[in-house]
Amino acid sequence: MKTLLKNGLKAGIPFGIVSIFLFLIGFNSTIADIILKFIKIDDKTVVFGLTSRPLALLMFMGVIGFWAGTNSGRKIKNKTSSVIILSTLAGLTHGVLVALVSYTIGSLSESGLKINTYLAAMLTQTIKLFLLDKTPLAGAVFMLIFLTIMGALGGLVSFSYDRANTRQKMVSGWKNLTVKINQQPVVRHIQTNPLTRYILYGLILICLIVVPLIAGSYWNYTIGTVGIYVLLGLGLNIIVGMSGLLVLGYVAFFAIGAYTVSLLTAPLPHHLMWNFWWTIPIAMLLAALAGILLGIPVLRMRGDYLAIVTLGFGEIIRILIKSDLLTSFTGGPKGVTAVGGPTLFGRPFSSEIDFVYLIFLAVLFAIFVTVRLQNSRVGRAWEAMREDETVSRAMGIDTLWQKLLAFAIGAALAGLAGVFFASRNQFTGPEDHSLMVSINVLSVVIVGGMGSIPGVIAGAFVLKGLPEILRELENYRVLTFGALLVIMMLVRPEGLIPPSRRKLDTNQDAVLDSKKQDERPE
Amino acid sequence: MTVSITPQVHRSKFGVYQVVQTILGVLFSIYLLWRIYDVFFGHPSYGPDTWARFAISGIILGSVYALIAIGYTLVYGILFMINFAHGEIMMIGAFGGYFVFEALKNIPAPTALEPNLNFLNAHPIISVFFAFVIGMALAALSGYFLEQIAYRPLRGAPRLVPLISAVGASIFLQNAGQLLFGSQRRDYTNPVILSRGAGWNIKIGAGIVTVPYTGILTLVLTLIILVSLYLLVQKSRMGRAMRAVAENKTSASLMGIDVDGIISRTFLLSGALAGAAGVMWGIHLGLVYYFVGFIPGIKAFTAAVLGGIGNLPGAMLGGLFLGLVESLGPGIMGIDFQLKDVIAFTILVLVLIFRPTGILGEVLSEDKV
Repeated sequence: MKTLLKNGLKAGIPFGIVSIFLFLIGFNSTIADIILKFIKIDDKTVVFGLTSRPLALLMFMGVIGFWAGTNSGRKIKNKTSSVIILSTLAGLTHGVLVALVSYTIGSLSESGLKINTYLAAMLTQTIKLFLLDKTPLAGAVFMLIFLTIMGALGGLVSFSYDRANTRQKMVSGWKNLTVKINQQPVVRHIQTNPLTRYILYGLILICLIVVPLIAGSYWNYTIGTVGIYVLLGLGLNIIVGMSGLLVLGYVAFFAIGAYTVSLLTAPLPHHLMWNFWWTIPIAMLLAALAGILLGIPVLRMRGDYLAIVTLGFGEIIRILIKSDLLTSFTGGPKGVTAVGGPTLFGRPFSSEIDFVYLIFLAVLFAIFVTVRLQNSRVGRAWEAMREDETVSRAMGIDTLWQKLLAFAIGAALAGLAGVFFASRNQFTGPEDHSLMVSINVLSVVIVGGMGSIPGVIAGAFVLKGLPEILRELENYRVLTFGALLVIMMLVRPEGLIPPSRRKLDTNQDAVLDSKKQDERPE
Repeated sequence: MTVSITPQVHRSKFGVYQVVQTILGVLFSIYLLWRIYDVFFGHPSYGPDTWARFAISGIILGSVYALIAIGYTLVYGILFMINFAHGEIMMIGAFGGYFVFEALKNIPAPTALEPNLNFLNAHPIISVFFAFVIGMALAALSGYFLEQIAYRPLRGAPRLVPLISAVGASIFLQNAGQLLFGSQRRDYTNPVILSRGAGWNIKIGAGIVTVPYTGILTLVLTLIILVSLYLLVQKSRMGRAMRAVAENKTSASLMGIDVDGIISRTFLLSGALAGAAGVMWGIHLGLVYYFVGFIPGIKAFTAAVLGGIGNLPGAMLGGLFLGLVESLGPGIMGIDFQLKDVIAFTILVLVLIFRPTGILGEVLSEDKV
């Protein structure tokens, strides 16, 4: 009984903390609005004396409470009564924590204290909503009872199922599924028969041509952003994914590309007014040169040091651009406006569609380059270096040269992305090149799968495309990125679509190590 | 993880790279010496009082850096990973102190003479003590949970994996801070005695230099913390266990040391130091917001590398040195004060190129660098 109590508390407290955190950052009310968008609840519907918005909020809280119950059930298997007691305890703990915090904040808010001077998201109506438009006490008690019941329900569903086992089954099922799909005659046919493969490519190409024509200007802008991030991701993928050099200042190369095109084509501050097309190779060359110049001193370091130094480099570039020292050269904090755009046969690229096509072309070019590189001697050298630098050096790979090459090519792709970015927005400023860009691109590469080209494309769509669909969650995007990086490392370090060639992958190591740890006597 | 005593990779001693490096290093040193001579004796741009002001602010800032840097060094010494989210833990500590002051400010403690007195001004010493205790406790706890959630499951994974996890945790904490407390900068309300700008006035040269009380508090507290930390690591049983774990985890566990427990305690300790640094930052510089820990975090990392990462006295020295360079550097080099962050990063790069083992550095084995 005592262990039961302890386990119940242990299972309930994390969920309580998560619920309270979500409440305090105002996530609950946002998600209630989103639920209302998808499930139409009539304004006049009243259940348990609750109107539509509190109901939607309650749905979300119910899911978390339910999860707390199911999660707690994994400790004990096949003993119905104790599982239900455990999950009820977990639900109760969860509910008590949430009720305590919401009651405290609710009554403080009732007494006239402005909570949102301290906790920014705690507007009066947000607190009211969380207390289900009741008095603080009634709302908190209602929430407590509701969460306890949901926990018990979750336990009921979970009893007699072994969660650890289920997860293993899911993972192996996913792997089996991919293997099975690969073994299907149709898929094999596509993979082996060049004709069908070309037809498939053709279909994708037609899709790429048709989609921008159908989509509106807003969606084309989004597609363009995704495309720019695919470009950036492919470049960083060469550095981080293929060669295993963690670079956190990737935005510096992006900035160099963007500023090259801006300074060469904009009327201010230099009035050079060059043709856009000429600036593309120049920007790529300059970015590659910057990559080499940064690389020469820095590449002797490994892992962590490299990450910090490149991060510092990215910040230096941004601070320099902003500083008074270079204001006359770069336009300073205000940035460069009226950046020139491309013209083709006398027709300026004005609409988003033109840029989308241009970015598609660049992405196709980048994919071509990276695929060819990956399968070449250079690509294999990079992967050897990633797996073990000392061994690869012993195998006769000039690691410094290979690293420089990776840096230069990755940087050149970032420069290209920067050109399109600045030219499409007709503006570039220091704040476009903050550390967040580096982090976003890194997330794209890691979520997609380090070293995998389809992975990068999928990652860019997931991280840059999906948030555009759920615009309400805009505020929580970066938070999710951070959490996603951690979760991906914990659960699936190889990414959504891991590269096919990677035999000795990171996950295997982790599994082996965790097994070793499990075997250690407690 | 074995600590190998093998020397670093053998490079030829007189490669082109080394020659160029040395020439560049010598040229830079000559330039620097000339600048220092020029600034002090040739064409003095500031009077001695201004230099003293710079130096004082540099030492105070440096002592805060030192505290944060020790957190990096402790963790790095044991796990060989950079706790990237360390700056964010400092931010949590700073917010802890801020809320303690805000709460105490609202508690009335009237005396016969001053009916409007609040607790913060009536008992400043207790208030500051509370602020430090709460800030340090919050930061220590977040360090502990950070390790439990984001680093522990990844032990033994390839080095890139925990590093990325740490970057993710850093971003998460930063944005959690922004969403919880908003993006505006908040003023730290100090007790009146400790109000910023007040201090001892010392006459130097033509002007009067103020040594702020907040700065003295920071320095004294830093010294106390550093000495007790040194005693803890060198003399106590836990410190011995920590050193053993840093040396070799497997052997330590064979000797009956609870390795996981020691690692948890190390994170508690480094979190508490970061929390203290955060409260000091708030009291001395007076601004706290969600991004407050990021730049000091990177600079403290620089300081830790500067002193030789994994080396406690090195981290202290590195912190002080970096603080001084940051406040004196722009004046000496004759560049804009906007660019002081650039100086810190440049130093980091230079140190890593020329002397990756740091000022007091131990010889780092291949797998540590």
